[in-house]
Amino acid sequence: MLPPRSYMTEYAIDIVNVTKRYADHTAVRDLALRVPTGSVYGLLGPNGAGKTTTIRMILNIIAPDSGKIHIFGRPSNDPKITERLGYLPEERGLYRKMQVRRVLKFLAELKGVRGKDADRRIDEWLERLSLKTPEKDWGLSKIDELSRGMQQKVQFIGTLLHDPDLVILDEPFSGLDPINSQALKDTVVELKKRGKTVIFSTHLMDNAERLCDSVCIIARGEKVLDGTVTSVKEEHGQRNVALALEGDGISGVAAILRDNALVKRADDSNRFFEIEMAPGADPQALLRRIVESGAAVQRFEMIQPSLHQIFLQKVGATGVEEGMTGHG
Amino acid sequence: MAKLWAIIKREYLERVRSKWFLIATFFGPIFFSAIIIVPAWLASKSKATTDVYNTTILDATSTGFGHRLAVNIAVDTTIPGRMPVVKVVAPSELTQAESLATREVMRKEKSGYLVVDQQTIAGESARYAGSNATSIADMTQIKSAIRQTILASRLQNVGLDDAKLKQITFIPLDFSTERITERGRAGSGMASVLFGFAIGFLLYLSIVIYGQTIMSGVLEEKTTRVAEVVMSSVPTDTLLAGKVLGVGAVGLTQQILWIATTYILLKLRTPIMAKIGAPAVNFSLPDITLGAGVLFLLFFLLGFIFYSSLYAAVGSSVNSESEARQAASPLMIMIVSTGVFIQPVLLNPTGTTARVLSLIPISSPIIMPIRMAVTGVPALEMAASLGFLVIGCVAALWLASRIYRVGLLMYGKRPTMKEMARWVSYAR
Repeated sequence: MLPPRSYMTEYAIDIVNVTKRYADHTAVRDLALRVPTGSVYGLLGPNGAGKTTTIRMILNIIAPDSGKIHIFGRPSNDPKITERLGYLPEERGLYRKMQVRRVLKFLAELKGVRGKDADRRIDEWLERLSLKTPEKDWGLSKIDELSRGMQQKVQFIGTLLHDPDLVILDEPFSGLDPINSQALKDTVVELKKRGKTVIFSTHLMDNAERLCDSVCIIARGEKVLDGTVTSVKEEHGQRNVALALEGDGISGVAAILRDNALVKRADDSNRFFEIEMAPGADPQALLRRIVESGAAVQRFEMIQPSLHQIFLQKVGATGVEEGMTGHG
Repeated sequence: MAKLWAIIKREYLERVRSKWFLIATFFGPIFFSAIIIVPAWLASKSKATTDVYNTTILDATSTGFGHRLAVNIAVDTTIPGRMPVVKVVAPSELTQAESLATREVMRKEKSGYLVVDQQTIAGESARYAGSNATSIADMTQIKSAIRQTILASRLQNVGLDDAKLKQITFIPLDFSTERITERGRAGSGMASVLFGFAIGFLLYLSIVIYGQTIMSGVLEEKTTRVAEVVMSSVPTDTLLAGKVLGVGAVGLTQQILWIATTYILLKLRTPIMAKIGAPAVNFSLPDITLGAGVLFLLFFLLGFIFYSSLYAAVGSSVNSESEARQAASPLMIMIVSTGVFIQPVLLNPTGTTARVLSLIPISSPIIMPIRMAVTGVPALEMAASLGFLVIGCVAALWLASRIYRVGLLMYGKRPTMKEMARWVSYAR
């Protein structure tokens, strides 16, 4: 692995009032956010919110119209910085007709890892992800001879081969099978343990809630809220109730949940409900009504709202801006 | 620089390793040799065929004229089967003999018959009828043999002896043609036109094939999003430059291999053609100087940069192969319309059309090398052509890089011309 970096700043990414406009809409408006070094950071937002545009500006693929972006304390267009970044784009693919090893070597060379060093790392990674076993070395196959899951593994390797300090993953969980999805989570955790910073965009709140130290929710190109997951939850800590039911009687409960004096919003997952109480309403009154309706209560618990709830509350169903995809 | 090199290396090695490159490199020279040799071989067939020997001479002169004529037609009497059959007939039997000879021709036993009589000796007339009567070469040979025989008879009449006679009338003329340019002799005219055609065709084909190769390469990187990964590591212009240079180097490698093997094949054509039993073809190869070779490769490279950068721009602006084909049609029209002019330019390489087309960057990479192959091009015209082409390349690269860096990140519907014009104005 690379020798330790000579400097580490407090923030891996520091975005100051960045705006990016396209001809017919503003993709990102006056965005400011800071990603602490060594954290796992989630960039959350509906499709078309400006996540991909933000990521592309961090990567210096596109330049902001105004504002500044610093990566590890240096301007994002500093060529030296790119070698410390690893990027996995959304909807991934690789050169189909190219041999796996050669693809990886190419990606390594673009990040300044060359020759024997690159070969050794490729071997390590291929073995680690079981793409190279005593029976079969998939490294010698062409990309299009690999299964979809194996191709995804090759893409992880390509992203991490040069041991980046900052790993940027755009919608990493979309299209992953459960095994690779778990492998990715393990990898993120391991990267964090090794002091790396990971930032990923997603609209899957469950993953974000479990993995992220901090999050930023953006919609329509603007920041809605940001902070550590704990602080975000505390700030938006209305009295929420988790309710799980057993057997019949769900239909009776549904009527109670529609009572606006008691319930402001209920997220109905059939047998599980996340309920936001109406202002001033008493959760105990709600519990009594449900028990009286004859439903078998399996769980009734006062909880902090999930990111999913906060997201829905803050962004709502209208948070998706009409616009060209790819500006997301 | 190391990253640019990585991109060039990938483009180059991946393509050179492909089986299409091997196939094209192998069959190219065979194809180009065929283009040059086959027409030359056909041209050599304009020499008289063996049909002239398989004729009957109906001699109604009663002076032995027919026998002497037969010897002159045969030219070389030591080769068996080259002597036409001579039938001496009385003038009154001529009609009957002719109808007999006609039937022989109809049965394909003979290719024709020749009637010689007193008027022939007088140098007034002779008649030939046969299946090869339309063959100019055959008829020319028979006619000159008759002239030669008449001349010999007349010389004999004034008292020349046989030996002298042979000495005077034996003229085995082999007529070959050669072209002269301002720079001197330049090989046979036919070969040089064919050579020009082969060069034009080669450039035309290479630009179309490699232009489209670049286009689908760019499209693949865009649709697989590899482009984004690469763009997060190197500036877009470096990626574009690496692609153009890498694929350009592949094209250059192929050109050099093609030219070298074609040249060797043509040099060795006599033994090769003897092996496959074809008659030898006589023509001298056009004299290509090293300077001309370098200029030719320079035109290829510049023409390639001009077109491939535009093809890359097209590839970056679309989302599928079928869209790409449509979007590339303006480029295709530019190239094909140049291709249409290859023949007119070959026929008149110093005309206004040729001179104008060799100045416009759209057509000059194909037209100028053709002109160079068939005629001398003044240095000033050459410099102007190269100058305009370099300017064209810079303009094409500038335009392409601006479309490319925006197009690569745009997904969804194909952009209109207006949108693409707006991309060009984007800073980045």
